[in-house]
Order: sequence, then structure tokens, then C-alpha cells
Amino acid sequence: MDKMNVSKHISGKFNDELESVRNKVLSMGGLVEKQLRDALIAIETSDQELAEQVLRSDHKINAMEVQIDEACVQIIAKRQPAASDLRLVIAILKTIADLERIGDEGERIAKVALESFNNDQQEFLVSLENLGQQVLSMLHRVLDAFARMDLDAAYEVHQQDAQADRQYEALTRQLMTYMMEDPRGIPKVMNVLWSARSLERIGDRCQNIAEYIIFFVKGKDVRHVSPESMEQTVKGRTS
Amino acid sequence: MISVTPTSSTAEALDLENLTSEQTAMEIRDLNLHYGDVQALFDVSMKIPKNRVTAFIGPSGCGKSTLLRCINRMNDLVEICRTSGEIILHEKNIYDKDVDAAALRRQVGMVFQRPNPFPKSIYENVVYGMRLQGVNDRRVLDEVVERSLKGAALWEEVKDRLGDTAFSLSGGQQQRLVIARAIAVEPEVLLLDEPTSALDPISTLTIEELITELKSKYTVVIVTHNMQQAARVSDQTAFMYMGKLIEYADTNTLFTTPEKKQTEDYITGRYG
Repeated sequence: MDKMNVSKHISGKFNDELESVRNKVLSMGGLVEKQLRDALIAIETSDQELAEQVLRSDHKINAMEVQIDEACVQIIAKRQPAASDLRLVIAILKTIADLERIGDEGERIAKVALESFNNDQQEFLVSLENLGQQVLSMLHRVLDAFARMDLDAAYEVHQQDAQADRQYEALTRQLMTYMMEDPRGIPKVMNVLWSARSLERIGDRCQNIAEYIIFFVKGKDVRHVSPESMEQTVKGRTS
Repeated sequence: MISVTPTSSTAEALDLENLTSEQTAMEIRDLNLHYGDVQALFDVSMKIPKNRVTAFIGPSGCGKSTLLRCINRMNDLVEICRTSGEIILHEKNIYDKDVDAAALRRQVGMVFQRPNPFPKSIYENVVYGMRLQGVNDRRVLDEVVERSLKGAALWEEVKDRLGDTAFSLSGGQQQRLVIARAIAVEPEVLLLDEPTSALDPISTLTIEELITELKSKYTVVIVTHNMQQAARVSDQTAFMYMGKLIEYADTNTLFTTPEKKQTEDYITGRYG
């Protein structure tokens, strides 16, 4: 299971430092996932109290980002990590930045739950909910892939984003039609649209995290490369 | 004190296996070395590119210093040492019978771990090699001293006291003096055997900066225990283990995405 090999350094203290920072990323991921799930539940059940709670908890995620950042800086300063250790630290630094932004998006989504919607508008919430579940599953799976540094799982999540994008586009069209039909509902629909946008962005950020996992495992930067080139990197079993 | 060149410290990666003869300073072919019954090097083959810094890294006893010493035949001085294979410099095997080791060492200079200035003045230390070659013209020697000391980034610090004994210099200055002595005879290749291991961090950085500058004129090969140093100063790095060349690659690649697990374990400080 220990693909990161963190426990095999000659320096036991270095093992501990890496293990500890890795665990912190996993708890941060868990917290971010919970925030997003709660935000979606709050919308689904119109639970304003839960939405408020999501808004109140975001600062915890921010604090964790700062803490993990600091730990990584210490590791770089004291250990001068190389090769896979270096890639792990870099992947962590980038991942937590994306996780923090996912937390922010979750906060934005929770705000929708604070609004009240009429029956007509409820159907958008259902579409939003569907997109939300899709994105939540991506987040869950990418965090799982991160915990195991699982290349194939990361690649699957990366591919999954196209589906989320399609759902987002469909929802946008639906909302635009509604706005044209009933301009008075625009302010509320805008809120739904922004939430949908937030969810779509979360999908992109999960994709980013998947890219960091591929970077860690393969040592290749797969951002902004063609799908073919990425597939080649993932399928080429050199390391 | 030191002129900082704006060029990046590491050069663009070369295709080390397919270097053209123009790009190659020296080529090692199937080199094997025995100390008595013990084999210290096994079939080492590599090309050392011109005007670049090549680092040899590896744990103690892996053969990196032995390999370095082969490059200017320092191992000839060890009686029980036998070598087979070739090291090519200018299309000639340096182990051929008709190669004069002293002449070779003028072309391939060496600097050791501990600074070893001669018990003479700073000036005489630098011109020692020239005097051995029979050059005694004061004007020529003065010019060599200035050029070499400038090349070793020591001129500004010692220009007013060239007659002082070399032992009056600090360790870092002595090491730069030794480098000045090595480059005074205009070698093509400069071998550095852990040149900073006896120096403090600041002197170490001065020498590292110097190494980066030296490569514009010389081909530099450095053995170092300090991996970060290899990562900082070299353009390509060879990782050796148990007398074998395990991986030889562009430094940026070797330190971020090594191919071999042994290399990875070594540079990340893991149990092998």
C-alpha cells in the first residue's frame, strides 16, 4: 500500500514528518468533502441551519491549508527532499491549494440553501443536486486516489470531469430558458447558476488533483497536454 | 568579489548516449579496475561532455573516487591496481603505453579533498607547473598568476600579498589557490575530488560559484558526497553503486525523476 515509501528513510524523523503532513492532507480532504456534502444536503432539505454551519466551518479548512503549507516549507528547508519525496511535497502543496478553493466553492453553494425557492424553481435544485452528486463523487474518488497514490483511479477521475461539464452545460441551458420565460425569477436563478458554476469548478479542481497524483507517480507534468499524450503517460508503465 | 554570470547554472540536457565527438571531452569504455583481488570498477562506460560539469555521486566505497582517479591515471601510483578498458582523450586511449602520465596530468588537472598548497609563496604555488615545464620568464609567469588567480576567484583577495606563504590563507582560499594552480597549466579537464568537504558553508558556496564559471573554459568532473551540491553545480550526474555505474543522466532529471530504484533510494535517503 505504501507507494509513497515514506516509512523507509534512514532518518526516522523525516518519515514522521512526511507521514504527518500526508495525514493532515487526508484530514483536510475529509473536511472539504464533508463541507460539500453538507452544502448539498442543505440545499436538498432546505436546511438553513446546516448551511450556516457550512459557512461557519470554512475557516477550519483555511487554517489547515496554512498549517500544511508551513509543514511543507519546513520539510523543504530542513530535508531538501529529492525525487519522489520532492514530488510528494510539491503534489501536496498544490493539492491543498485546490482543496482550499473547493472549500470556498462549498461555502458559495451553501449560500443557495439560505434562499427560498418556489415550486417551479425546485426543479433546478434537483438538476443542481444531480450535478452536485456527480462532483461529490469525483472529489471522493480523487481523495481516495490521493490517499493511495493510485494512478489509474486518478486517471478515471480525470476522465469523469467531461461528464460533469456536460451536466453543467445542460443545467445552464435549462436556466437560461427559464430566465427568458420569467425574468422576475432571474435573481434567484442567478444564485442557482453560480452554484452550478461552483460545482463545475470543483470538478476542474478534482481534475487538477488527479494531475498532481499522476505527476507524483510518473514524474511527468500532465497539465495542459493533449488527451492522447496524457493517456500515454498514464499507460506507459515505466516506473 | 565574484562576478556572477547571468547564464543559468545548469545547461540544457544533452543526449548523453549519443554525444558527437565534438561534444565529448573524454570517453570511458568498459573500464574495469582491480585492487589486488578486489574488483573496484565493473564495466564502466560513459561519455563526459565538454565544457560541462559532470558529478559522480554514490555511497562511500562505490568507486566514484577511483573512477575519477582513473581519468588522469592517478591509480598508476597504486602498485596493486590493475585496469582494463579504455579512456579516450582526443581519440587516444590514455592507458596506451606511449602516453606520458605527466603530460596527461597537465591536460587533466586534479584538485583534492583537502587543500594541499606547497610550502611556498602564493605566487610560487601558482607558477609551480609552469616552472616544471621550464617556463621562467617573469613576464609570462606574472601573467599566468594573474589569469589563474582571477580564474579561481582569488585575485582580489591576494593580489597585494603574492609573496606571502600559501599557508597564510584560509582553507577556502587555499582550495581556490590549488584550483588556480591546476588551471595555471591550462588543462582541458579539471577533476575535483570532494573539493569542498573540508570547507565551511560560505567557502563551499564560493567554490561552487567558481565551478559554474570554470566550465566555460574547462570540462569539470566532480566527486561529491554532498548530493545537494551535485544537484546545484552539475549539468549531468552519474550515480555509482558497488563499483557499477547505475544511472547517468541530466542532473535535473536524475534528482527529480530517477529511473532506477537504487538511485531513487540513495538520493532520497532510504534504505537500499
